[in-house]
Amino acid sequence: MRSSRMWAAAAAAAMLGVAGCGGADSEEGGSGGSAAKEGEAPKTVPGFDGNKIRVGALSPLSGPVAVIGKPLTNGNQVFFDALNKQGGIAGKYKVKLVQEDTQYKPDVAVQRYNRLKNDVVAFTQILGTPSVLAVLPQLKRDKIVGAPASLDAFWVREPNLLPVGGPYQGQAINGLDYYVKNGGEGKRICSLSQDDAYGEAGKEGVDFAAEKLEFKLASAQKFKQADKDVTGQIQALAKAKCDAVFLTSLPSDSGTIWGTAAKLGFAPRWIAQSPAWIDELGASPLKEYLAKTVWIVAEGTEWGDDSVAGMKQMVADVEQFDPKQDPDYYFSFGYVQGKAMAAVLEKAVELGDLSHEGVLKASEELGEVAFDGLFGDYTYGAADERKPPTQSTIFKVDTAKPYALGTLEKDYESDAVKEFEYKAR
Amino acid sequence: MSEFLQLCFNGTALGARYALVALGFVIIYRATGVINFAQGGLLALGAYLAYALNDTAALPFALAVIGAVIASGLIGAATERVVLRRMVGQPVFAVVMVTIGMLFILEQTITSIWGFEALNLGDPWGVQIVRAGDVVLAQRDLWTVGIAGAVLAAFFAFFRFSKLGVAMRATAFDQEAALAQGISARRVFAVSWGISGALACLAGVTLAAGPAALSPGIGAVALIAFPAMIVGGLDSPVGAVLGGLIIGITQALTTGYQEDLFGWAGANFAAVMPYVVMVLILLVRPYGLFGTREVRRI
Repeated sequence: MRSSRMWAAAAAAAMLGVAGCGGADSEEGGSGGSAAKEGEAPKTVPGFDGNKIRVGALSPLSGPVAVIGKPLTNGNQVFFDALNKQGGIAGKYKVKLVQEDTQYKPDVAVQRYNRLKNDVVAFTQILGTPSVLAVLPQLKRDKIVGAPASLDAFWVREPNLLPVGGPYQGQAINGLDYYVKNGGEGKRICSLSQDDAYGEAGKEGVDFAAEKLEFKLASAQKFKQADKDVTGQIQALAKAKCDAVFLTSLPSDSGTIWGTAAKLGFAPRWIAQSPAWIDELGASPLKEYLAKTVWIVAEGTEWGDDSVAGMKQMVADVEQFDPKQDPDYYFSFGYVQGKAMAAVLEKAVELGDLSHEGVLKASEELGEVAFDGLFGDYTYGAADERKPPTQSTIFKVDTAKPYALGTLEKDYESDAVKEFEYKAR
Repeated sequence: MSEFLQLCFNGTALGARYALVALGFVIIYRATGVINFAQGGLLALGAYLAYALNDTAALPFALAVIGAVIASGLIGAATERVVLRRMVGQPVFAVVMVTIGMLFILEQTITSIWGFEALNLGDPWGVQIVRAGDVVLAQRDLWTVGIAGAVLAAFFAFFRFSKLGVAMRATAFDQEAALAQGISARRVFAVSWGISGALACLAGVTLAAGPAALSPGIGAVALIAFPAMIVGGLDSPVGAVLGGLIIGITQALTTGYQEDLFGWAGANFAAVMPYVVMVLILLVRPYGLFGTREVRRI
């Protein structure tokens, strides 16, 4: 791993040198860029040597968040491996994924971005809201497309970003709507969220649902990530007699939260955001409590569901290219990101221009991209007209299933979620 | 009232975990004057060793923990012998930097062996509870408090009655005078690191018990235990335990009464509270509750 990273770094450095020398060239190419014609083979540009298209991934590959970064990047990789096996983009251009470790630190992300930007045509993954925010101004200046691995609602209206999946707010709205319409009417609903941008996104969805579904939040609690004691918050929720709690957390905290609740005998209906779950929880001593109380709001279908074309294909690709990969939500996310990037690159090749600007233009001209049931279909295009998927799948904890989640209601779409407006930050 | 007792008990359990971490810091600081930043790494390594012995080597949990504690102690002592002994006589700053380097090495080692996935430690405590009136006591918390109590008692006995313990106290008090009395400072240093490694392992196990709670990030708690060590006084084991309990209980009560008492301070005031307490105590007692006053001529 280390040596491959060193090679990647060395290669990046070498390519930077090349790109530096080729600077004048590409500028000339730029003036001739308008000459790029549809149907013609795209010119060589930074990140494209005429044969191979290089795309970047800025991901935490070390540190605590690597638990998300590793499988997600692996999802990118397996998708491109499968695509390359079939010939690649437009049947002839293979895609090479170049990975850089951000350690989940925004300043490192910016540094790695600058190292890679002249070596790739676009970034197929930038993981984490803080890193995306740090890199975004540069993406705009450099006219480069980057795909955020984060479901914030702000991304929808940013022309330089290529999000996939319905935002956190939508998950919260659909999850609560499903609860209210399925026996939860008139019940006391509460929220528990972590105190950062991700937690705020979930809370925003909860507040919107409260307004549209006309319920009053009985208690809204917050916790700090990696807190080892959440007794206070759980007691407050129990005191408020919550029948249901919407939870926005990461797996490292979900265990502490549900463990404390189980201990104190507090068993509301937990409705949790997709990143809150990890399959190890289904193997923990808490599994019976979780099976009784927890719903997870995510997208698509359960792992290994053959009736869904996208899932069938993904599982087949995993078996062929990385059989060691366990069922993992983040892997699916990375795989879906690969699919979105491939659609953009296909369009860019069709338009005959793989330069940074060309890829940006291609992403704006992209219509609806289908994810074959793996995630909801996404209508791209000009940023102010984009439509993210609005349906969510409600899962219940089922330890017999791979990833310990079984479908409760597939592709649930509330009326409220359609009214939610996505704004730029 | 039962709510208050519940919070106090949970705060005590949390504080006991902090105390174990802080004790590890203090033992090394007392003997060598160095703050060991690798303590968090040793803690995570100890927890993973217990996991490996229980899960992979299929030892019963108690044996796995004992094995991991011994192994961690040996790793601590070996670290001192191989790395830090060469640093004797170097500025403290350099030694501290070495411990920071070791933290990175430990983190990488852990993730390259066990990966990044959150794991279940395999403790038998699970989510079992004991009821005392309206207060719910988790078995895991009771064990934590029990372990911390036993360790503390063992400490006092060790420092008071054993020859090595007295030697360690003497070295901490005045290294040169101790050397003149024929006490081997090297042995004292190695034993300090060994004890600190064993303590880190115990802290790690009590922190990693619970649903999917064992992850590489677990060592980060060392930073939260920092105020505990400072509050108690950098070189006092009693202070470390008391500091840990003060910080733990303060945190639990602040979270519990957040809405009623600290609503004005915004959500999550509990994260700040340990530092507020630390500053307040330092204003009154600059060397912590039980720290040794330093006299310096300027």
